[in-house]
Amino acid sequence: MMLNNWKGLVPTLAVGAVVVLGVTGCSTGGSGGDGGGDAGGDTIKIGVLATSEGNLAFGMGEAKAAIAVAMEAIGGTVDGGEIGGKSIEIIYAGTDGTSGSAQTQVKKLVENDDVDIVFGPVSGDEGEAVVQYALTVPEVTFVNGSASPVGMTLEGAENFFRFHGDSAMWMGGLGDYAYDEKGYKKIYSIAEDYSFPYDNAGGFFSEFCAAGGEVNGNSWVPVGTTDYATIIAQIPADTDAVYVGLGGADAASFLSQAVTNGVDLPLVGGSIAVDTTALSGDANIASAAVGTITGGPVPGAGYDNPEWQPFVDAYVTQPDAFPSPSIFSILYYNSFQSLVLGLQEVDGDLSDGHAGLRDALGSLDWNSPTGQISMDENRQAIVDNFLIEVLDEGGTLVQKNISEASGVTQGTTVYDRFEGCP
Amino acid sequence: MTAPETLVTPTATGRSRSLWARYSWIGWVVVLGLALLFPYVVDRPRFWLPNIGVRSLWLGIIAMSLVFLNRYVGLLSLAQVTIAGISAYGVGYVMVTLDQPFFIAIPVGITAGTVAGFLVALIAARTKAIYFLMITLALGQVFYSYASQAIEVTNARRGLAPIKKPDLEIINLNDITTFYFAALLAAVICFLLCRYVAASTFGMALQGIRDSPERMAALGYKVNRYRIAAITFSAFIASIGGVVLVFDRAQIDPDVVSLGSTLDVLVVAVIGGIGSLGGVFIGAIILTLLDNFAQDFTDRYMTLTGIVFILVLLFAPAGIAGIGAQVKRAFDRRRKNASDPGDDPQQEPTATQPTGEAITKGKQQ
Repeated sequence: MMLNNWKGLVPTLAVGAVVVLGVTGCSTGGSGGDGGGDAGGDTIKIGVLATSEGNLAFGMGEAKAAIAVAMEAIGGTVDGGEIGGKSIEIIYAGTDGTSGSAQTQVKKLVENDDVDIVFGPVSGDEGEAVVQYALTVPEVTFVNGSASPVGMTLEGAENFFRFHGDSAMWMGGLGDYAYDEKGYKKIYSIAEDYSFPYDNAGGFFSEFCAAGGEVNGNSWVPVGTTDYATIIAQIPADTDAVYVGLGGADAASFLSQAVTNGVDLPLVGGSIAVDTTALSGDANIASAAVGTITGGPVPGAGYDNPEWQPFVDAYVTQPDAFPSPSIFSILYYNSFQSLVLGLQEVDGDLSDGHAGLRDALGSLDWNSPTGQISMDENRQAIVDNFLIEVLDEGGTLVQKNISEASGVTQGTTVYDRFEGCP
Repeated sequence: MTAPETLVTPTATGRSRSLWARYSWIGWVVVLGLALLFPYVVDRPRFWLPNIGVRSLWLGIIAMSLVFLNRYVGLLSLAQVTIAGISAYGVGYVMVTLDQPFFIAIPVGITAGTVAGFLVALIAARTKAIYFLMITLALGQVFYSYASQAIEVTNARRGLAPIKKPDLEIINLNDITTFYFAALLAAVICFLLCRYVAASTFGMALQGIRDSPERMAALGYKVNRYRIAAITFSAFIASIGGVVLVFDRAQIDPDVVSLGSTLDVLVVAVIGGIGSLGGVFIGAIILTLLDNFAQDFTDRYMTLTGIVFILVLLFAPAGIAGIGAQVKRAFDRRRKNASDPGDDPQQEPTATQPTGEAITKGKQQ
């Protein structure tokens, strides 16, 4: 009986395969029709990778808002427009923030949708996968979205451009500020155990240690840790401040437990630690968070660049926009606007393997809403970085801009988990 | 009139079965032929081969190892993706960290995965049903956490890259068509191996253990040893899937062994048919097509995948591979029903007889 069952499967398998191949054939035909307008034609296809599922599902909305702001400024829409007489077609591909999903979608954009330029992705895991893929398709130009691992622009992909700082650069200037201005000499580090916090903490502590500071302990915790009691107990008595390289909810858990355990030390936050909404929930946590300093690519309140406010005004009119731009919309905007400027400079000419466009992108120098952006020889941006302090203004937490570190350049160290100074 | 017909029907069914048995190889040849033609009938091989073809093959191989365990041993293991991942990490570690060639890396990877499967079996083989499922799930999650943090071995979240496909002078696997055929060969070998093992005395014993472990134990079979051997064998199959996976992805990171990937393989097995070794490839093709094209129809593409999964569970509980048998059953039923109305007038009087008997019985009571 058991051995007989599979025989019924044979015809099914055959029929199923025929149907599936039929479907694939149909789809191929459709996409084949699309393939008419690729490089050399009058249409430039830009494939956008952004997260539309998972923890960062709002990434797609933010990406579209940012792209719409840039495209509307030149008379286009979120789906395309015209540059230098060439029509721009923008195709969106959603991912779930994982490397596997990014690999699938980027291959689809390049090989099936025939895009000339890939724009994105959002998360670091995706970014590392996309750079590896970029190395295999030198004929396509890649402009990063918001992925920030240090190593991405150090892989030698000549066709890959990043118009924002990496996660180590996001701490640029904060180490000196903590040592010189705040007078912290010994800092205890608590950070999540994955690549983003390695780079983020590495960027901070390399500067802090170079200034003369000391790391008197490191705790690397898994993402989603809720119990920090044992770690809090390990913090030495002579610690001046605690570095919190934790994401929003984890940071709130840590702060809440630090408060109940009577730890009253000033904090240095990683770039994603300070989420005033999460921290405002509890009065004790809010008071503990006041005075936290942090660094990142998003300016705090009181930033006076004349380019900033027009961008914010344009952003908030977009459908599904947040009350103020998130880190993702800012990075996507700066990057997409850079791409637009590059395309404008060559009048949309992608001939000679995008040589003109790549030269234009590689020598771009413009004043973005978050300060001057120029490029180094690794096609990595040199940017302004923001130092921010959490202040209590009439009962609500505000992230106040302390200062900008101008012309922050990329280091060449890809950080791993480290003990003491990196 | 009716009596001869009812006698003829089973004979006809028997004949049709023997026909299927005799000509089933034609079906397989057609399927294999389509698989071999695949690179030449699609207009964008650089998209279709990696994104649909090769990915379906490794998803199918891993799901096949799951189906083998479920069909012949009656155990639903959620550790198959983890085992494939361990095999992939083995290859990655040897090629990236130790900088050794692929002909060392591949055996190391397969051995690592198989040994991992053996260790999983030692822990989990004494349990069954939901407990086995939970233990294998838990072990998978343990490895996921390990892979996410063990910098020295797995390079934590960053993973190991690049893992380049071998170039054997005569056969260059960097050519995507060649790589597709290599993956297809691996899938065919795995399939034949599963079929062979299932039909061997060992496989018969496994099926006996699945149906009645107590009876087999009473017959002198060491039930646990058989289970451990079966789980180890399925780990070997999953490990081969892991090797194809790692060369396809050119990198290995913890996402490969995450819960999401485990669920992908489970979805493939269920859509294809949890009782069918070949059906998993249909499931895999459907999942990869959904992954690639569902977005063209909706922004909530994962929801669409979920809906397809639910529809399959509702209307084809035996998976796509079971639809043939399901349609045949429905067809038989309809044919039987169609022959019934003619009998109805004759049956009516007979139907009243039992009623009469019942009344008599009622009276007697």
